[in-house]
Amino acid sequence: MTDDRNRSRREVLKLLAAGSGLLVFPLGTLLAGEREAAGDGARAPYWAYAVDTTRCIGCCACMRACRDENDVTAGVFRTWVERYRIGFDGEVRVDAATDNGYVFEPAAGEVARAFFVPKLCNHCEKSVCNQVCPVGAAFNTPDGVVLVDQKHCIGCGYCVQACPYGSRFIDPKTHKAGKCTFCYHRLAEGLAPACVHACPREARIFGDLNDPHSKLSVLLRQRHYRLLKPELGTHPKCYYLELDREVV
Amino acid sequence: MEPTSPSYRHTFRLFALIGIAVVIALIVRARLVPESYGDLGHFRADAIEDAKRFEPRHLGPAACVECHDDVVALHAKDAHARVTCESCHGPGAVHVASEGEGGIIRPGGKEPCLVCHRLLPARPGEFAQIVPRDHYRFVGVEDPEIDCVACHDPHEPLFMDRDLRTARLHPLIHRCRDCHAGRTDETLSRPPGHPAIFECGYCHAEVVSGFAERPHSGVRCTICHLFFRESDFAGRILRDSDPRFCLLCHREADFRSDDAPPGIAWPDHGEDMAEDAGDLDKRCIDCHQDRIHPLQTRTAAGDVRAGREE
Repeated sequence: MTDDRNRSRREVLKLLAAGSGLLVFPLGTLLAGEREAAGDGARAPYWAYAVDTTRCIGCCACMRACRDENDVTAGVFRTWVERYRIGFDGEVRVDAATDNGYVFEPAAGEVARAFFVPKLCNHCEKSVCNQVCPVGAAFNTPDGVVLVDQKHCIGCGYCVQACPYGSRFIDPKTHKAGKCTFCYHRLAEGLAPACVHACPREARIFGDLNDPHSKLSVLLRQRHYRLLKPELGTHPKCYYLELDREVV
Repeated sequence: MEPTSPSYRHTFRLFALIGIAVVIALIVRARLVPESYGDLGHFRADAIEDAKRFEPRHLGPAACVECHDDVVALHAKDAHARVTCESCHGPGAVHVASEGEGGIIRPGGKEPCLVCHRLLPARPGEFAQIVPRDHYRFVGVEDPEIDCVACHDPHEPLFMDRDLRTARLHPLIHRCRDCHAGRTDETLSRPPGHPAIFECGYCHAEVVSGFAERPHSGVRCTICHLFFRESDFAGRILRDSDPRFCLLCHREADFRSDDAPPGIAWPDHGEDMAEDAGDLDKRCIDCHQDRIHPLQTRTAAGDVRAGREE
């Protein structure tokens, strides 16, 4: 080997040629290709959720089903329904059916337009709540669900503060973080989450993003949708179909 | 002086201490870090299995049909087909586990119906919704305590058999949102001076002519001809002449007021008429056409009847 400082012109040119060869045939891509080929056939699901805001009637069957299915403590909510009423003067009024038995009553005042927006955990791809957990109790499963390790959560509430969607709470009974799990126990049995099962209007749609033929994938190709607070870079996986511009 | 060989005892001590510290640290770490931690990321992989450990409580109609096949079959045909049994009756797991002994809700009163059907501006316009007081006045029910189920069977609320719908595709031209994208619907105020282009009479002039003088003049077209939105351009229209549909308003009941739509005793009236005519399939409109509007019975049933009468 010649000393670095004394390379001949020929050697330098050879090195350059070899370097450009690497650029043309990147090794990493070859390896990635092999990995993909190996996993083909039995592709794991990647769960996501959609809400059709034009179909929701605000009956809150989803909230009742969620509470019954998951034994959610009274006073906290894994999913809830918001009512937006926009006046002729542009004033936006939002209320939620929570403490009154999950029933929307007629509200006073004229509205230019009004609609319901069901909310739940967005199961973000880059979830903030998981990043701030000091004990590693919050995590994303490989199939795209954000869960809380109930054994190791210390109930510090950092995740509750970090979640930009207000989807987490500290359970008044267990004193640990609680949130929507996409009814993970139901997924394991091949069932849809309880809220999706209960919705009489098919306003809540659940499916596998990795399956191009799932109802969710088809809808996301065909319809307009928006995400909540996409500017935060959390990559939420709850897609809102035909969402009004007033909802952020 | 003879130089002494250098002593390394202090270094041995130091390394021994470090070694003990490392061993203690490893033991403590092994005890503190859960077994499956790090298998799939910075979390305990077994927590995924923990999350799967609950038993589903909402079992779906497949569980209900085991014992209640008749109700499930009836229910599956009608407008409430998408309303799961457990939406009204509560989760079925306890009921099934106890082999039908309790664990089920039997909803009572109006509230379980009004949760979905109370008129709210936020509800989509095409969804069936009422102001209870107005609805009761419309059908002549005086007692506000009468439950919805006195007239509407919740398992078969409006007799909208899906098979009947399929024959009658109708272009949708009757809603604000057909032209105005967004959420405006006809329950909201219409701007003054707006061209009246959403009138049924534009196409159905013959049917509508003279309607104002007939007994049903106060009834909007869509009350009887219910629409089911199928796409942005087409919906299904109900032009069924099922007597049960007329009976929703016209069945004699002691809770109806004097100014209610004329009530008839059912099934007596139907049986009498059928006996007189020797026709078991006699429909209300066969005798009472003039009270509604000129009927062009182009329905499948109508064609069959016409053929038989000839």
